[in-house]
Amino acid sequence: MIGSENLKKFFYNLKKYYKYSVYAAKAELKSEITNSYLNWLWWFLDPISYMLIYTFIVEVVFKTTEQYFPVFVFIGLTTWDLFSKTVSGSVKLVKNNIGTINKVYLPKYILLVSKSFVFLFKFLISFTLIIVLMLLFKVPFSWQILNFPIILFIIYIISFGCGTILSHFGVFVEDLSNIINILLKLVFYFSGIFYAIATRIPAPFNKLMVTLNPVAFCIDQFRRIFLYGAIPNYLLLFLWFIAGIILIVIGVSLINKYENSYAKVV
Amino acid sequence: MTNAIEVSDLYVSYKGLKKISIKQSIAKFKFNQTEIFEALKGVSFNVEEGKILGIIGKNGSGKSTLLRAISGIFSPDKGNVNLNNHSISLLSIGVGFQTKLTGYENIILSGLLLGFSEEEIRKKIPKIIEFSELGDFIYKPVRTYSSGMYSKLSFSITAILETDIILIDEVLSVGDIHFKEKSSKKMNEIIKDETKTVVIVSHNMSTMRELCDKILWLNDGVVMEIGDTNDVISHYEEFMKTLNK
Repeated sequence: MIGSENLKKFFYNLKKYYKYSVYAAKAELKSEITNSYLNWLWWFLDPISYMLIYTFIVEVVFKTTEQYFPVFVFIGLTTWDLFSKTVSGSVKLVKNNIGTINKVYLPKYILLVSKSFVFLFKFLISFTLIIVLMLLFKVPFSWQILNFPIILFIIYIISFGCGTILSHFGVFVEDLSNIINILLKLVFYFSGIFYAIATRIPAPFNKLMVTLNPVAFCIDQFRRIFLYGAIPNYLLLFLWFIAGIILIVIGVSLINKYENSYAKVV
Repeated sequence: MTNAIEVSDLYVSYKGLKKISIKQSIAKFKFNQTEIFEALKGVSFNVEEGKILGIIGKNGSGKSTLLRAISGIFSPDKGNVNLNNHSISLLSIGVGFQTKLTGYENIILSGLLLGFSEEEIRKKIPKIIEFSELGDFIYKPVRTYSSGMYSKLSFSITAILETDIILIDEVLSVGDIHFKEKSSKKMNEIIKDETKTVVIVSHNMSTMRELCDKILWLNDGVVMEIGDTNDVISHYEEFMKTLNK
């Protein structure tokens, strides 16, 4: 299989450049803090203010609600952020790192690894707020919460897989970012971030939406373990795990094959 | 003596790599027009360990492409480059920093990418900072640097971190008069170091005569001549004179 060799090289490079990725991610996070004093506060303020906006719109304007709505929407928003930031950040990734690329060889997906560490860190920060919100809104805790890393891992590899593919095409297609932004908006509304797909969408379609859209699926799984104390759907999680690996294999193979010509194009 | 660099039958072309936009391709109903520009056409040569090779040729003859192909930034379309496991770095003007990050962080990131461990880099950092003469600016983001400071830092990193093979693209001196002197002195030190293999691209024939063991003359992607420094340079100079007539 072509994939296995590419994947082997990928893991080899991951190990080799792991320190670089971590250091680059840390340095980026640190630069965000030092450039303005209150910047790290935005890591909290950003999801909280969006949560308040959606809570207002849905509860006051549309007069509908879900159980524990603020926590409900907060889970949706933070999961969405991880996915959408990785995806939209990947399109111009190679171009933004042109200095490094022209100077020294590095596997180009390492740039995405480092970027995704930044988003993962921010995700974990805002996820600690979920616990605070759960206490505040008296959501009963259940042991199912321990499934949290599994679901996070799935949404992470799917975001990363999409990111590798897009970072390849982003080099050659100039206006890709415009299209991706529109598509992301679409996926945003189809992911049930501020509504429950299961009850708001008519019968056969709601199942399909949650099964076929990985973001909607992962958000739904997070809500199950945090809000409803239900068991996650392990079978579907496993299938999306496979899908994520396939995405990564495709993206990494594309990058392995073409990365050395990136410097000629950008 | 073993070879540090072995280049055999190297072809590099820029083909079909024009950027496309979706809007354009819809308007024209075709996706990809291939335009082939062959930058290197079958270049072969070896550089022995510890030797200094100079590359000369008129503008656009493929010198920088050759350096980038050797350092692995470009992949060759045909042929290959064998470095026999030597570490390599490319020194060229004004590239390679993440401007949001501080000079200090950029030193570590550059070092990690060049294949050094974090301890090795940390050990050499005081020397790099001292050589670059940036003082406290080293803890400020690189985007606040003047162009002189930028190239000083870039030079200091490559000069102090010292990989086995050093490729130099037109930077034998950077910064103000004082730093120029200092950097060319350091450069000479590195170049004369017998454990370092150096490839220099320059248009300055007098420095090339002074420094190089061997000269490679590239013209339109083909090796015109390779051999003794004085011979090749005088042939090249005669050739350039005929162009002016």
